[in-house]
Amino acid sequence: MSRLNRLAISEEGFIFDPETGNSFTVNKTGLFIINMLKEGKDVEDIVEALTEEFEVDREEAMRDVTDFLEQLRFMGLIDKTEDDNV
Amino acid sequence: MCKVAVSGINAVDNPGPGLGVIKGIKDKYEKTAIVGLAYDAMEPGVYMDWLIDKVYIMPYPSEGEEPFINRLLYIKETAGLDAAIPTLDAELPLFIANSDKLKNCGIATFLPTKEQFKLRSKDKVSELAEDIGLKVPESFTVVSYEDLTSAINEIGFPVMIKGIFYKAYKAFNYQEATSYFNKIVSEWGYPVIVQKVVSGEEMNVVGVGDGEGSHFGMVGIKKLWVTSLGKIWTGVTVKHEKMLEAAEIFVEKYKWRGAFELECIVSGDDVYLIEINPRFPAWVYFSVGVGINLPARLLDAALGKEPDRTSDYEAGKLYIRFTDDFVTDMGTFQKIVTRGER
Repeated sequence: MSRLNRLAISEEGFIFDPETGNSFTVNKTGLFIINMLKEGKDVEDIVEALTEEFEVDREEAMRDVTDFLEQLRFMGLIDKTEDDNV
Repeated sequence: MCKVAVSGINAVDNPGPGLGVIKGIKDKYEKTAIVGLAYDAMEPGVYMDWLIDKVYIMPYPSEGEEPFINRLLYIKETAGLDAAIPTLDAELPLFIANSDKLKNCGIATFLPTKEQFKLRSKDKVSELAEDIGLKVPESFTVVSYEDLTSAINEIGFPVMIKGIFYKAYKAFNYQEATSYFNKIVSEWGYPVIVQKVVSGEEMNVVGVGDGEGSHFGMVGIKKLWVTSLGKIWTGVTVKHEKMLEAAEIFVEKYKWRGAFELECIVSGDDVYLIEINPRFPAWVYFSVGVGINLPARLLDAALGKEPDRTSDYEAGKLYIRFTDDFVTDMGTFQKIVTRGER
């Protein structure tokens, strides 16, 4: 199972990794992005969806997504395969 | 009604596993009578009469086999024991060596064999870890100051200085390393293990091997908060595949019989085996709380019943230890001091 898919994610943005025991919190935007990643969406899809869902332009959305993915990589929540896909 | 002796009822800042074991047994078999085996009149379990029906002061295992076993047989005669669950490292060799004798006298146990017990010695852990697919921190077995110095030169500071069975200290310089080396040698003798400090997250597995290559359940946890003595205070259940798989291979390959705890450090994708304990840990009640009642399953196995074998627990359950207090009069203390039992 991919790392993202094994995560237990609450509606409030509390995330628990059952393998490592680590927990994180994310804001509404982070939760939105994680859920899209779990659905297998790529960066383009996510940026598009963010501009539709939130009051944000494409450039800012792209920057936020890139930053957030970097955070997920840093925390070991995206493995190599997912990394390649996004 | 079954009567079970349980040791390790010292519920202090470095708690024994006894009370967790007793709570587990009582959760499943409310009417089981518990006999507490204490080594000191001040052990809190002595006074916890809502959990422990009778208490006996035991001679220290270091006083020798005969007084220890005779005391157990006296307890059997006076209290009518059916089974015993020892939980302390120092008493295990005596119980293991005399398990047949105890069985013949009607005291059932479910313990590792002498050979299995020896596997826990820290100079054997490297070999065993490799066998079950885990790593071990770089380590050297030393018997002299010269060995100690060359091992430290190889590893660098900080370094763990460990007794072969008991005690482990972290040293940050030669003075500390030498002082811990001397301390361990004077208390436990040679050899001493010098080991690289591995940084990562502390994860453990507790379980009960059936002695035939399978097990009566196991639970993986991560320590979230430990005391200054390194004892778990808060933890969370995890399903770390590699660690749990290694524990499965461990019971299968070594046909482990009885309780065990594998202590690991997880660093990224690497899982290091630090120690094997041939008994329940002090946090064993965590397994009971998540539905895998290992103490009751071990008791069933000791009494010849087929225990439950499920290991279906939920990851993300939290364990919180807390301190409590109560007030009683001197009567129990007097009894324990003057008669050695209550």
